[in-house]
Amino acid sequence: MNVPQGENGPVLLLEVEEVFAGYGKIEVLHGTSIRVREGEIVCIIGPNGSGKSTLLKTIVGLLKPTRGSVRLSGKEVGRLDPQEKVRLGMAYIPQGRNVFPSLTVLENLQMGGVSLGDAGAVRRAVEEVLEEYPVLKGRVRAQAGNLSGGEKQILALARAVMTRPRLILLDEPSIGLAPRIIEEIYNRLQEINRRGVSLAIVEQNARKALAVAHRGYVLDLGVTRLEDTGAHLLDNEEVRMLYLGEKGNGPEQEPQDPGSRR
Amino acid sequence: MDIFLQSVVNGILAGCIYALFAMGLTLIYGVLNFVNFAHGELIMWGAYFLYLFISEPFSLPLSVAVAPAILCTVCLGMVMDFAIFRPLRKADRLTLLIAAMGLSFLLRNAAQFFWGAEVRTYGLEISRGFQFLGVSLTAQQILIIGVTVACVILVYLLFFRTSLGKSMRAVSDNLDLARVVGINARRSIRAAWIVSAALAGTGGILLALDTNLNPEMGVINLVKAFAATLIGGVGNLWGALLGGLIIGLAENLSVLVISPGYKDAVAFAIMVGILLTRPYLVTGKRTD
Repeated sequence: MNVPQGENGPVLLLEVEEVFAGYGKIEVLHGTSIRVREGEIVCIIGPNGSGKSTLLKTIVGLLKPTRGSVRLSGKEVGRLDPQEKVRLGMAYIPQGRNVFPSLTVLENLQMGGVSLGDAGAVRRAVEEVLEEYPVLKGRVRAQAGNLSGGEKQILALARAVMTRPRLILLDEPSIGLAPRIIEEIYNRLQEINRRGVSLAIVEQNARKALAVAHRGYVLDLGVTRLEDTGAHLLDNEEVRMLYLGEKGNGPEQEPQDPGSRR
Repeated sequence: MDIFLQSVVNGILAGCIYALFAMGLTLIYGVLNFVNFAHGELIMWGAYFLYLFISEPFSLPLSVAVAPAILCTVCLGMVMDFAIFRPLRKADRLTLLIAAMGLSFLLRNAAQFFWGAEVRTYGLEISRGFQFLGVSLTAQQILIIGVTVACVILVYLLFFRTSLGKSMRAVSDNLDLARVVGINARRSIRAAWIVSAALAGTGGILLALDTNLNPEMGVINLVKAFAATLIGGVGNLWGALLGGLIIGLAENLSVLVISPGYKDAVAFAIMVGILLTRPYLVTGKRTD
């Protein structure tokens, strides 16, 4: 769990400052701020409708902030399109529909590498990624829509690392998966992190994510309510009661995050 | 038996042309998630562009005029998108539907303004068909089959062998996901319009070669292309190809039992039947 240190402490990779964003007239984020340092796993938890998914969509550029700033390595990227952010080293795995169902596994990976430019680079990246994810090797010709939920999540992860991103944003990577597969996904994520890639994970399954996270944020109604290390948040009485559903009086845990509406 | 075989051949011929229309329609449907009700006008204008280039002042030979005619159709398709559909990219389906219908009226009336409402032909001599196993085939009809096969091979190579084609399929699957993996969605959408219009123009020219031209030719063929698209499932290119052939065969085989005057009604009947029994085909995508 070593985070690289710059001259003045850990190097900031992503800085979201006082961001306001939403869908048309419906504002979901009312001045949200988070930071992700290089090599860090940051977990964002919070009840339904707190704006977790909206935050990730705003960072990746599917939504544009109406106010506030999003900086990547100190550079303002709030107004950029997702396509440009991929080139700057950002990858995003949405919740649920996160593979191209009518494309084969191989084609999904190739699409993950479109920003690499030439065909040779894409081919080399596909070979490398298949070495790292051997489960996909035997299934390269399979249509992604026919994969199991776990296989789809692995494919989404493999596609995200095609461009060797510096930061991966993950929206509910464990949703709807069996515990054994969740374990595998998180092992993969920690392995990716050990190579220096920062992760920002939004989770409903907060316990799992906080356990692997260096730091965590609690989002509520579109504002950042708490910020602490993953371990401290797990110990925090209020967090346990309100967001981890302990003592049975926590908020309703529904699988669908309203923040993910299109 | 001869009549049956001839009907099958006629059905395949009509089906080839419907398939070209349906593949273009389903492509835009998949990528932009709306039915381009002005697709029929691309078909009709494709045919008229050829007519324009073979008549005064161009007077090009038919085989030469095909290239500028299809090029003009592609330009028309891109202008359609640029002027009407791109500003409405975030609009709801009803708005897009009405915009497309308005555009269809406009383009139909424009054609009527320039060339009149009367039926025209390219002025080819009526050729006697070759006799083969009791079936008659004209040179134009052999051309229809040949060009369709060539188009299908090109479409296959584009969509399954090139990065641009795969990007278009990815955009058709999930636009937002395509954008976040780094696909240039704008370029993919533009390419989809080019392919869709090229297929419409090619099909329109083939249809006019085999029959004739009139400003209404787009509307009736749109219905058939739409029915074929529904059979194939939205955004499914091979489904549209198969759907086109099914519609063509159904129409021509119906002539054996009912009056040829009702031929066009067969496509309508199939379309209504699908909408009633399998409405999910209109909203969802087949994922085989």
